[in-house]
Amino acid sequence: MAGGLARKCGSALWSLTRRLSAPEFFTQCCYHSKVLDHYENPRNVGSLDKTSKNVGTGLVGAPACGDVMKLQIEVDDQGKIVDARFKTFGCGSAIASSSLATEWIKGKTVDEALMIKNTDIAQELCLPPVKLHCSMLAEDAIKSALANYRFKQNSGQQGAGQTSSETKPSET
Amino acid sequence: MFSVKYLRIVCLSRAAPHSHWPKASRLSVCKPVLSSSHCFTTNTLQNSTVDFTAPGKQSELCFCFNQVFRNCSTCQVKVNCWNCKQVLDKELTFFCRSCKVVQPSDDGTTFFKIMDCDHSFTVDVQKLQRRYLQLQRSLHPDNFSQKSAREQEYSESQSALVNKAYTTLLKPLSRGLYMLELEGMGIDEGTESGADSDFLMELMEINEALHEAQTPDEASKIGHDMKARLVELTEQIDTALQKGELQAAKALLAQMKYYTNIEEKVKEKLSEFM
Repeated sequence: MAGGLARKCGSALWSLTRRLSAPEFFTQCCYHSKVLDHYENPRNVGSLDKTSKNVGTGLVGAPACGDVMKLQIEVDDQGKIVDARFKTFGCGSAIASSSLATEWIKGKTVDEALMIKNTDIAQELCLPPVKLHCSMLAEDAIKSALANYRFKQNSGQQGAGQTSSETKPSET
Repeated sequence: MFSVKYLRIVCLSRAAPHSHWPKASRLSVCKPVLSSSHCFTTNTLQNSTVDFTAPGKQSELCFCFNQVFRNCSTCQVKVNCWNCKQVLDKELTFFCRSCKVVQPSDDGTTFFKIMDCDHSFTVDVQKLQRRYLQLQRSLHPDNFSQKSAREQEYSESQSALVNKAYTTLLKPLSRGLYMLELEGMGIDEGTESGADSDFLMELMEINEALHEAQTPDEASKIGHDMKARLVELTEQIDTALQKGELQAAKALLAQMKYYTNIEEKVKEKLSEFM
Protein backbone atom coordinates (compact mmCIF):
# COMPACT_ATOMS: atom_id res chain seq x y z
CA MET A 1 0.00 0.00 0.00
CA ALA A 2 2.72 2.43 1.04
CA GLY A 3 4.84 1.31 -1.89
CA GLY A 4 1.97 1.87 -4.29
CA LEU A 5 1.35 5.31 -2.89
CA ALA A 6 5.03 6.15 -3.14
CA ARG A 7 5.07 5.00 -6.74
CA LYS A 8 2.00 7.04 -7.50
CA CYS A 9 3.54 10.13 -5.93
CA GLY A 10 6.77 9.44 -7.74
CA SER A 11 5.06 9.12 -11.10
CA ALA A 12 3.01 12.20 -10.44
CA LEU A 13 6.14 14.12 -9.61
CA TRP A 14 8.11 12.86 -12.62
CA SER A 15 7.68 16.11 -14.46
CA LEU A 16 8.93 18.18 -11.57
CA THR A 17 12.51 17.95 -12.58
CA ARG A 18 13.64 21.33 -11.38
CA ARG A 19 13.23 21.77 -7.68
CA LEU A 20 12.76 25.09 -6.05
CA SER A 21 16.41 25.46 -5.22
CA ALA A 22 17.48 28.13 -2.77
CA PRO A 23 18.68 30.69 -5.35
CA GLU A 24 15.44 30.35 -7.36
CA PHE A 25 13.37 30.57 -4.21
CA PHE A 26 14.90 33.80 -3.01
CA THR A 27 15.00 35.32 -6.47
CA GLN A 28 11.31 34.83 -7.01
CA CYS A 29 10.40 35.44 -3.40
CA CYS A 30 7.89 32.64 -3.08
CA TYR A 31 5.72 30.93 -5.65
CA HIS A 32 2.02 31.59 -5.35
CA SER A 33 0.08 28.90 -3.50
CA LYS A 34 -1.77 27.97 -6.70
CA VAL A 35 1.50 27.36 -8.50
CA LEU A 36 2.73 25.29 -5.58
CA ASP A 37 -0.50 23.28 -5.66
CA HIS A 38 -0.06 22.40 -9.34
CA TYR A 39 3.64 21.80 -8.78
CA GLU A 40 3.08 19.34 -5.96
CA ASN A 41 -0.19 17.89 -7.27
CA PRO A 42 0.02 18.19 -11.04
CA ARG A 43 -3.11 17.23 -12.90
CA ASN A 44 -3.20 15.09 -16.04
CA VAL A 45 0.45 14.12 -16.19
CA GLY A 46 1.15 11.50 -18.81
CA SER A 47 0.81 10.63 -22.46
CA LEU A 48 -1.85 9.68 -24.96
CA ASP A 49 -1.53 7.44 -27.97
CA LYS A 50 0.20 9.70 -30.47
CA THR A 51 -0.69 7.42 -33.37
CA SER A 52 -4.41 7.80 -32.78
CA LYS A 53 -6.26 9.93 -35.29
CA ASN A 54 -8.21 11.59 -32.49
CA VAL A 55 -5.11 12.64 -30.56
CA GLY A 56 -3.36 15.91 -31.22
CA THR A 57 0.14 16.45 -29.89
CA GLY A 58 1.69 19.84 -29.21
CA LEU A 59 5.39 20.11 -28.56
CA VAL A 60 6.89 23.50 -27.72
CA GLY A 61 10.10 24.84 -26.28
CA ALA A 62 11.27 28.07 -24.69
CA PRO A 63 14.89 28.64 -25.69
CA ALA A 64 15.43 31.47 -23.23
CA CYS A 65 14.94 29.20 -20.23
CA GLY A 66 15.31 25.78 -21.83
CA ASP A 67 11.84 24.55 -20.87
CA VAL A 68 10.17 21.87 -22.96
CA MET A 69 6.45 21.13 -22.92
CA LYS A 70 4.33 18.44 -24.52
CA LEU A 71 0.57 18.65 -24.40
CA GLN A 72 -1.77 16.09 -25.92
CA ILE A 73 -5.51 16.17 -26.45
CA GLU A 74 -8.01 13.48 -27.29
CA VAL A 75 -11.03 14.70 -29.18
CA ASP A 76 -14.27 12.81 -29.69
CA ASP A 77 -16.32 12.68 -32.88
CA GLN A 78 -18.31 15.73 -31.81
CA GLY A 79 -15.16 17.84 -31.61
CA LYS A 80 -15.08 17.89 -27.83
CA ILE A 81 -11.84 17.40 -25.92
CA VAL A 82 -12.45 14.39 -23.72
CA ASP A 83 -8.94 13.93 -22.38
CA ALA A 84 -5.73 15.92 -22.08
CA ARG A 85 -2.26 15.04 -20.84
CA PHE A 86 0.95 16.94 -20.44
CA LYS A 87 4.64 16.46 -19.78
CA THR A 88 6.73 19.48 -18.91
CA PHE A 89 10.39 19.74 -18.10
CA GLY A 90 11.04 23.14 -16.65
CA CYS A 91 10.33 25.47 -13.80
CA GLY A 92 7.40 25.31 -11.41
CA SER A 93 5.50 28.01 -13.26
CA ALA A 94 5.78 26.12 -16.55
CA ILE A 95 4.57 22.92 -14.93
CA ALA A 96 1.69 24.70 -13.23
CA SER A 97 0.72 26.48 -16.46
CA SER A 98 0.55 23.27 -18.44
CA SER A 99 -1.23 21.43 -15.63
CA LEU A 100 -3.85 24.17 -15.47
CA ALA A 101 -4.12 24.22 -19.26
CA THR A 102 -5.01 20.52 -19.40
CA GLU A 103 -7.61 21.08 -16.67
CA TRP A 104 -9.22 23.90 -18.57
CA ILE A 105 -9.34 22.35 -22.02
CA LYS A 106 -10.99 19.16 -20.87
CA GLY A 107 -14.64 19.32 -21.76
CA LYS A 108 -14.18 22.21 -24.18
CA THR A 109 -14.62 22.01 -27.90
CA VAL A 110 -11.66 22.51 -30.17
CA ASP A 111 -12.83 26.05 -31.00
CA GLU A 112 -13.36 26.91 -27.34
CA ALA A 113 -9.92 25.66 -26.42
CA LEU A 114 -8.43 27.96 -29.04
CA MET A 115 -9.78 30.91 -27.07
CA ILE A 116 -7.65 30.22 -24.01
CA LYS A 117 -5.10 32.99 -23.59
CA ASN A 118 -1.84 33.00 -21.70
CA THR A 119 -3.06 36.02 -19.76
CA ASP A 120 -5.93 33.92 -18.38
CA ILE A 121 -3.50 31.27 -17.21
CA ALA A 122 -1.12 33.85 -15.74
CA GLN A 123 -3.96 35.60 -13.93
CA GLU A 124 -5.29 32.36 -12.47
CA LEU A 125 -1.86 31.34 -11.21
CA CYS A 126 -0.88 34.87 -10.18
CA LEU A 127 2.33 34.56 -12.16
CA PRO A 128 4.84 37.36 -11.68
CA PRO A 129 5.96 39.30 -14.79
CA VAL A 130 9.20 37.35 -14.99
CA LYS A 131 7.20 34.11 -15.42
CA LEU A 132 4.64 35.28 -17.95
CA HIS A 133 6.50 33.45 -20.71
CA CYS A 134 5.60 30.15 -18.98
CA SER A 135 1.90 30.82 -19.51
CA MET A 136 2.67 31.74 -23.12
CA LEU A 137 4.37 28.39 -23.51
CA ALA A 138 1.21 26.66 -22.27
CA GLU A 139 -0.99 28.63 -24.65
CA ASP A 140 1.29 27.75 -27.55
CA ALA A 141 1.25 24.10 -26.50
CA ILE A 142 -2.57 24.09 -26.62
CA LYS A 143 -2.56 25.69 -30.06
CA SER A 144 0.10 23.32 -31.28
CA ALA A 145 -1.90 20.30 -30.11
CA LEU A 146 -5.05 21.64 -31.75
CA ALA A 147 -3.20 22.31 -34.97
CA ASN A 148 -1.81 18.81 -34.98
CA TYR A 149 -5.28 17.37 -34.39
CA ARG A 150 -6.71 19.43 -37.27
CA PHE A 151 -3.86 18.36 -39.51
CA LYS A 152 -4.54 14.71 -38.76
CA GLN A 153 -8.26 15.17 -39.37
CA ASN A 154 -7.64 16.89 -42.67
CA SER A 155 -5.07 14.30 -43.70
CA GLY A 156 -7.56 11.60 -42.92
CA GLN A 157 -10.19 13.31 -45.07
CA GLN A 158 -7.81 13.96 -47.93
CA GLY A 159 -6.39 10.48 -47.84
CA ALA A 160 -3.12 9.02 -46.68
CA GLY A 161 0.10 10.41 -48.08
CA GLN A 162 -1.14 13.93 -48.79
CA THR A 163 0.38 16.75 -46.74
CA SER A 164 -1.66 19.46 -45.10
CA SER A 165 -1.27 23.09 -45.92
CA GLU A 166 -1.75 23.95 -42.27
CA THR A 167 0.95 24.51 -39.71
CA LYS A 168 3.66 21.92 -39.40
CA PRO A 169 2.41 19.21 -37.05
CA SER A 170 4.20 18.61 -33.80
CA GLU A 171 3.92 14.88 -33.99
CA THR A 172 5.63 12.69 -31.47
CA MET B 1 47.05 77.36 -17.76
CA PHE B 2 43.84 77.89 -15.91
CA SER B 3 41.31 75.64 -14.34
CA VAL B 4 38.03 75.19 -16.07
CA LYS B 5 34.98 73.33 -15.01
CA TYR B 6 34.46 70.41 -17.31
CA LEU B 7 31.60 68.10 -17.62
CA ARG B 8 32.93 64.63 -17.11
CA ILE B 9 30.76 61.97 -18.57
CA VAL B 10 30.71 58.51 -17.14
CA CYS B 11 28.65 56.40 -19.47
CA LEU B 12 26.88 53.34 -18.23
CA SER B 13 25.75 50.71 -20.67
CA ARG B 14 23.47 48.32 -19.06
CA ALA B 15 21.22 45.59 -20.38
CA ALA B 16 17.69 45.46 -19.11
CA PRO B 17 17.49 43.11 -16.15
CA HIS B 18 16.37 39.59 -16.70
CA SER B 19 16.29 36.74 -14.39
CA HIS B 20 18.13 34.36 -16.69
CA TRP B 21 18.87 35.90 -19.82
CA PRO B 22 20.22 39.25 -20.94
CA LYS B 23 17.79 41.07 -23.12
CA ALA B 24 18.61 42.36 -26.50
CA SER B 25 18.00 46.02 -25.75
CA ARG B 26 20.80 47.98 -24.23
CA LEU B 27 20.25 51.12 -22.32
CA SER B 28 22.83 53.80 -22.40
CA VAL B 29 22.76 56.19 -19.50
CA CYS B 30 25.14 59.04 -19.23
CA LYS B 31 25.84 60.33 -15.80
CA PRO B 32 27.34 63.79 -15.90
CA VAL B 33 29.82 64.68 -13.20
CA LEU B 34 31.38 68.06 -12.69
CA SER B 35 35.06 68.05 -12.05
CA SER B 36 37.89 70.49 -12.21
CA SER B 37 40.70 69.96 -14.56
CA HIS B 38 43.38 71.86 -16.38
CA CYS B 39 41.94 73.21 -19.50
CA PHE B 40 42.42 72.01 -23.00
CA THR B 41 43.21 75.26 -24.64
CA THR B 42 41.55 74.40 -27.89
CA ASN B 43 38.25 73.56 -26.29
CA THR B 44 35.52 75.91 -25.47
CA LEU B 45 32.43 75.10 -23.56
CA GLN B 46 29.40 75.96 -25.51
CA ASN B 47 25.97 76.38 -24.18
CA SER B 48 24.48 72.99 -24.06
CA THR B 49 21.52 71.18 -22.72
CA VAL B 50 22.39 69.02 -19.80
CA ASP B 51 19.94 66.84 -18.02
CA PHE B 52 21.19 65.95 -14.59
CA THR B 53 18.93 62.95 -14.38
CA ALA B 54 20.02 60.68 -11.59
CA PRO B 55 21.87 57.60 -12.69
CA GLY B 56 19.63 54.61 -13.04
CA LYS B 57 16.91 56.45 -14.91
CA GLN B 58 16.19 54.89 -18.26
CA SER B 59 16.75 57.95 -20.37
CA GLU B 60 19.36 59.11 -22.78
CA LEU B 61 21.08 62.35 -21.93
CA CYS B 62 22.04 64.55 -24.83
CA PHE B 63 25.09 66.72 -24.76
CA CYS B 64 26.35 69.20 -27.27
CA PHE B 65 30.00 69.72 -26.43
CA ASN B 66 32.42 70.21 -29.21
CA GLN B 67 35.59 68.21 -29.63
CA VAL B 68 35.71 66.57 -26.24
CA PHE B 69 32.90 64.09 -26.50
CA ARG B 70 32.43 62.06 -29.61
CA ASN B 71 29.98 59.42 -28.62
CA CYS B 72 28.11 58.94 -25.35
CA SER B 73 28.18 55.18 -25.60
CA THR B 74 31.92 54.95 -26.23
CA CYS B 75 32.91 57.79 -23.88
CA GLN B 76 36.37 58.54 -25.07
CA VAL B 77 36.98 61.14 -22.42
CA LYS B 78 39.62 61.87 -19.87
CA VAL B 79 38.54 60.69 -16.47
CA ASN B 80 39.89 62.17 -13.29
CA CYS B 81 40.50 60.57 -9.96
CA TRP B 82 37.74 61.56 -7.59
CA ASN B 83 40.25 61.97 -4.79
CA CYS B 84 43.34 63.71 -6.12
CA LYS B 85 41.85 64.89 -9.44
CA GLN B 86 44.74 63.50 -11.43
CA VAL B 87 43.89 62.22 -14.85
CA LEU B 88 43.51 58.49 -14.83
CA ASP B 89 45.90 57.19 -17.39
CA LYS B 90 43.95 54.21 -18.72
CA GLU B 91 40.44 53.57 -19.89
CA LEU B 92 39.96 50.89 -17.31
CA THR B 93 41.43 51.85 -13.99
CA PHE B 94 40.70 50.24 -10.69
CA PHE B 95 43.07 52.40 -8.64
CA CYS B 96 44.48 55.86 -9.18
CA ARG B 97 48.16 55.70 -10.06
CA SER B 98 48.90 58.80 -8.01
CA CYS B 99 47.02 58.42 -4.76
CA LYS B 100 46.27 54.67 -5.04
CA VAL B 101 42.65 55.19 -4.12
CA VAL B 102 39.99 52.83 -5.52
CA GLN B 103 37.93 54.27 -8.36
CA PRO B 104 34.23 53.81 -9.11
CA SER B 105 33.36 50.90 -11.34
CA ASP B 106 32.99 51.57 -15.04
CA ASP B 107 29.82 49.78 -16.06
CA GLY B 108 30.30 50.91 -19.62
CA THR B 109 33.26 48.68 -20.25
CA THR B 110 32.97 45.11 -21.43
CA PHE B 111 33.58 42.06 -19.30
CA PHE B 112 36.34 41.08 -21.70
CA LYS B 113 38.23 44.26 -20.91
CA ILE B 114 37.69 43.91 -17.21
CA MET B 115 39.05 40.36 -17.23
CA ASP B 116 41.79 41.23 -19.71
CA CYS B 117 40.58 38.63 -22.22
CA ASP B 118 40.37 38.80 -25.96
CA HIS B 119 36.88 39.57 -27.18
CA SER B 120 36.39 36.04 -28.38
CA PHE B 121 34.28 32.99 -27.64
CA THR B 122 37.45 31.06 -26.95
CA VAL B 123 38.73 32.03 -23.54
CA ASP B 124 41.72 30.81 -21.60
CA VAL B 125 39.84 29.74 -18.49
CA GLN B 126 42.95 29.44 -16.35
CA LYS B 127 44.04 32.93 -17.27
CA LEU B 128 40.53 34.13 -16.53
CA GLN B 129 40.62 32.56 -13.10
CA ARG B 130 44.04 34.02 -12.34
CA ARG B 131 42.83 37.47 -13.37
CA TYR B 132 39.74 37.05 -11.21
CA LEU B 133 41.77 36.16 -8.14
CA GLN B 134 44.25 38.94 -8.83
CA LEU B 135 41.48 41.53 -9.07
CA GLN B 136 39.58 40.33 -6.03
CA ARG B 137 42.74 40.31 -3.92
CA SER B 138 42.92 44.05 -4.35
CA LEU B 139 39.25 45.00 -4.79
CA HIS B 140 37.43 42.84 -2.29
CA PRO B 141 35.52 44.90 0.31
CA ASP B 142 37.35 43.08 3.10
CA ASN B 143 40.39 45.16 2.16
CA PHE B 144 38.51 48.38 2.72
CA SER B 145 37.00 47.93 6.14
CA GLN B 146 39.16 50.75 7.53
CA LYS B 147 38.69 53.04 4.55
CA SER B 148 36.19 55.79 3.97
CA ALA B 149 32.55 55.03 3.19
CA ARG B 150 33.03 56.19 -0.37
CA GLU B 151 35.95 53.87 -0.93
CA GLN B 152 34.00 51.00 0.57
CA GLU B 153 31.14 51.73 -1.77
CA TYR B 154 33.45 51.79 -4.80
CA SER B 155 35.16 48.63 -3.68
CA GLU B 156 31.81 46.86 -3.40
CA SER B 157 30.70 47.90 -6.86
CA GLN B 158 34.05 47.03 -8.40
CA SER B 159 34.13 43.65 -6.70
CA ALA B 160 30.55 42.89 -7.75
CA LEU B 161 31.31 43.86 -11.34
CA VAL B 162 34.38 41.62 -11.39
CA ASN B 163 32.25 38.78 -10.03
CA LYS B 164 29.67 39.32 -12.74
CA ALA B 165 32.31 39.51 -15.44
CA TYR B 166 33.99 36.35 -14.23
CA THR B 167 30.83 34.24 -13.91
CA THR B 168 29.60 35.43 -17.31
CA LEU B 169 32.82 34.64 -19.14
CA LEU B 170 33.54 31.40 -17.34
CA LYS B 171 30.87 29.27 -18.98
CA PRO B 172 30.48 28.98 -22.76
CA LEU B 173 26.71 29.46 -22.64
CA SER B 174 26.72 32.71 -20.68
CA ARG B 175 29.78 33.89 -22.58
CA GLY B 176 28.12 33.29 -25.93
CA LEU B 177 24.91 34.96 -24.86
CA TYR B 178 26.87 37.94 -23.57
CA MET B 179 28.65 38.23 -26.90
CA LEU B 180 25.29 38.25 -28.68
CA GLU B 181 24.08 40.89 -26.26
CA LEU B 182 27.07 43.08 -27.11
CA GLU B 183 25.95 42.86 -30.72
CA GLY B 184 22.47 43.95 -29.75
CA MET B 185 21.00 40.51 -30.06
CA GLY B 186 19.49 38.23 -27.49
CA ILE B 187 17.33 35.15 -27.21
CA ASP B 188 13.66 36.09 -26.94
CA GLU B 189 11.62 34.95 -24.00
CA GLY B 190 8.89 33.63 -26.24
CA THR B 191 8.12 30.16 -27.45
CA GLU B 192 10.21 28.66 -30.17
CA SER B 193 7.40 28.32 -32.65
CA GLY B 194 9.73 27.60 -35.51
CA ALA B 195 11.70 25.01 -33.62
CA ASP B 196 12.58 21.70 -35.18
CA SER B 197 9.96 19.33 -33.78
CA ASP B 198 12.36 16.40 -34.09
CA PHE B 199 14.82 18.27 -31.88
CA LEU B 200 12.16 19.02 -29.28
CA MET B 201 10.99 15.42 -29.34
CA GLU B 202 14.51 14.24 -28.79
CA LEU B 203 14.78 16.59 -25.81
CA MET B 204 11.58 15.16 -24.36
CA GLU B 205 12.87 11.62 -24.80
CA ILE B 206 16.17 12.43 -23.11
CA ASN B 207 14.39 14.12 -20.22
CA GLU B 208 12.03 11.17 -19.85
CA ALA B 209 14.90 8.70 -19.95
CA LEU B 210 16.69 10.67 -17.26
CA HIS B 211 13.60 10.78 -15.11
CA GLU B 212 13.11 7.04 -15.48
CA ALA B 213 16.78 6.19 -14.85
CA GLN B 214 16.98 3.57 -12.12
CA THR B 215 20.73 3.52 -11.58
CA PRO B 216 23.51 6.12 -11.38
CA ASP B 217 25.08 4.55 -14.45
CA GLU B 218 22.02 5.25 -16.55
CA ALA B 219 21.99 8.85 -15.43
CA SER B 220 25.74 9.20 -15.95
CA LYS B 221 25.43 7.87 -19.46
CA ILE B 222 23.00 10.63 -20.30
CA GLY B 223 25.33 13.11 -18.64
CA HIS B 224 28.24 11.97 -20.80
CA ASP B 225 26.07 12.23 -23.89
CA MET B 226 25.13 15.79 -22.99
CA LYS B 227 28.74 16.70 -22.34
CA ALA B 228 29.76 15.42 -25.76
CA ARG B 229 26.99 17.38 -27.45
CA LEU B 230 27.95 20.51 -25.56
CA VAL B 231 31.57 20.19 -26.64
CA GLU B 232 30.46 19.88 -30.24
CA LEU B 233 28.13 22.85 -29.89
CA THR B 234 30.90 24.94 -28.34
CA GLU B 235 33.04 24.42 -31.42
CA GLN B 236 30.16 25.23 -33.74
CA ILE B 237 29.30 28.40 -31.82
CA ASP B 238 32.94 29.50 -31.89
CA THR B 239 33.01 29.06 -35.66
CA ALA B 240 29.73 30.90 -36.13
CA LEU B 241 30.79 33.84 -33.99
CA GLN B 242 34.15 34.09 -35.70
CA LYS B 243 32.39 34.28 -39.03
CA GLY B 244 29.95 36.83 -37.65
CA GLU B 245 27.00 34.51 -38.25
CA LEU B 246 25.00 35.77 -35.32
CA GLN B 247 21.69 34.11 -36.18
CA ALA B 248 23.38 30.74 -36.46
CA ALA B 249 25.18 31.34 -33.17
CA LYS B 250 21.88 32.31 -31.55
CA ALA B 251 20.22 29.06 -32.67
CA LEU B 252 23.17 27.02 -31.46
CA LEU B 253 23.17 28.79 -28.11
CA ALA B 254 19.49 27.95 -27.73
CA GLN B 255 20.34 24.28 -28.23
CA MET B 256 23.14 24.67 -25.73
CA LYS B 257 20.67 26.03 -23.18
CA TYR B 258 18.44 22.96 -23.51
CA TYR B 259 21.36 20.55 -23.16
CA THR B 260 22.81 22.51 -20.25
CA ASN B 261 19.49 22.21 -18.45
CA ILE B 262 19.54 18.46 -18.91
CA GLU B 263 23.12 18.35 -17.67
CA GLU B 264 22.04 20.11 -14.50
CA LYS B 265 19.21 17.65 -14.06
CA VAL B 266 21.67 14.78 -14.40
CA LYS B 267 23.61 16.20 -11.47
CA GLU B 268 20.43 16.46 -9.43
CA LYS B 269 19.48 12.92 -10.33
CA LEU B 270 22.90 11.59 -9.38
CA SER B 271 22.69 13.37 -6.05
CA GLU B 272 19.36 11.64 -5.42
CA PHE B 273 21.07 8.28 -5.78
CA MET B 274 23.54 9.13 -3.05
